[in-house]
Amino acid sequence: MKQKLAVLGMVCPFPLIEAKEAMESLKSGDELEIDFDCTQATESIPRWAAEAGHKITNFVQLTDASWSITVQKK
Amino acid sequence: MYLTKDNRMFYALLIAISVQSIGVFALIQMGLIQFQAGEFNWLATILGSFIFGIGIILAGGCATGTWYRAGEGLIGSWIALFGYMGMSAVMKSGALSPVNNSLKGISTPTNSIPATFGLSVWPFIALLALITIFLVVKQLRKPKVFIPSLPPKRKGLNHLLFEKRWHPFVTAILVGLVALLAWPLSEATGRMSGLGITTPSANILQYLVTGDGDKYLNWGVFLVLGIFLGSFIAAKGSREFRFRAPDAKTAVSSFSGGILMGFGASWAGGCSIGNGLVMTAMMTWQGWVSLFFMILGTWAASYFVYVRPRASAKKKAAVYQTTTA
Repeated sequence: MKQKLAVLGMVCPFPLIEAKEAMESLKSGDELEIDFDCTQATESIPRWAAEAGHKITNFVQLTDASWSITVQKK
Repeated sequence: MYLTKDNRMFYALLIAISVQSIGVFALIQMGLIQFQAGEFNWLATILGSFIFGIGIILAGGCATGTWYRAGEGLIGSWIALFGYMGMSAVMKSGALSPVNNSLKGISTPTNSIPATFGLSVWPFIALLALITIFLVVKQLRKPKVFIPSLPPKRKGLNHLLFEKRWHPFVTAILVGLVALLAWPLSEATGRMSGLGITTPSANILQYLVTGDGDKYLNWGVFLVLGIFLGSFIAAKGSREFRFRAPDAKTAVSSFSGGILMGFGASWAGGCSIGNGLVMTAMMTWQGWVSLFFMILGTWAASYFVYVRPRASAKKKAAVYQTTTA
């Protein structure tokens, strides 16, 4: 199952906080696609995912200052 | 940092302070620059720094952070910056200057930590350097986790400058060196202090309003304009620039954060740079006390802004679920 989290327009650190919360409601193996445009999160979201042991299945820059990352729950 | 409980940024700050401290006191020793610690307005520093810390959370970044985020095209930071510049100018030379000066009388005669103990400054610098090295080594020895990053699209210098994320500790050394260079460079223009953000920010507004360039245009003004320009170039180069408008709620919170930061920094005699990076390196009570209370302020504010509203929202959701179940 893939869930989408639209946090475009949210300022840091809210995208990360939202992602952590959304992750809690997911089951193992589910994916969370996060679209965001706060620059800090390009570092903070992958770092959080890596340290929590989740897998990153996709990470791309969409346009100027906007990115999309997909995290699979461990 | 405060929310994610990430200590790396605090260690990075210690590195920048140590580098600068060693350098500046070496320059003083050689008689190249002068520094007077002055007196320590402890009450104003404590209250101001705490208020400044609250402002950081509301504005979504400290004074410097607000400047460079403004350069990345975040309209919310422009709003915060405006509140910050306005309030500092009001405190420093405007209607609130009596408030600004009201607490200045409550002080201890010496601001310098070594002078209080009647010692040379070097043992303190050595202690700071040792603690920093210990913490950094401990941090670097931790097992590394692989952190996935965006696939590189550029090569060579272009990749290094605009794409690759620099290790915070490397950046910290560079920041320390910049802060160190700021002393002789600004001294050359007749300005006897290190890096600063608050006074220059206020100076811009004071200059624009009064037109008195001799009094208000100085090294610091060009420094903060440089931060703005530099972050714009960096963001544009790394494709991270875009005008981004906040919603009404964020705009209001940015504006009030800016006002609190301007008010707090004026009272405390410095912001996270002036006190947290420079006055700490100068081994003054003002720097370290201010740093402590700034961190306390951000903790208090993040509890009320982030942690509590979310906890109560969760509680409500739980109650709702049990009633509908």
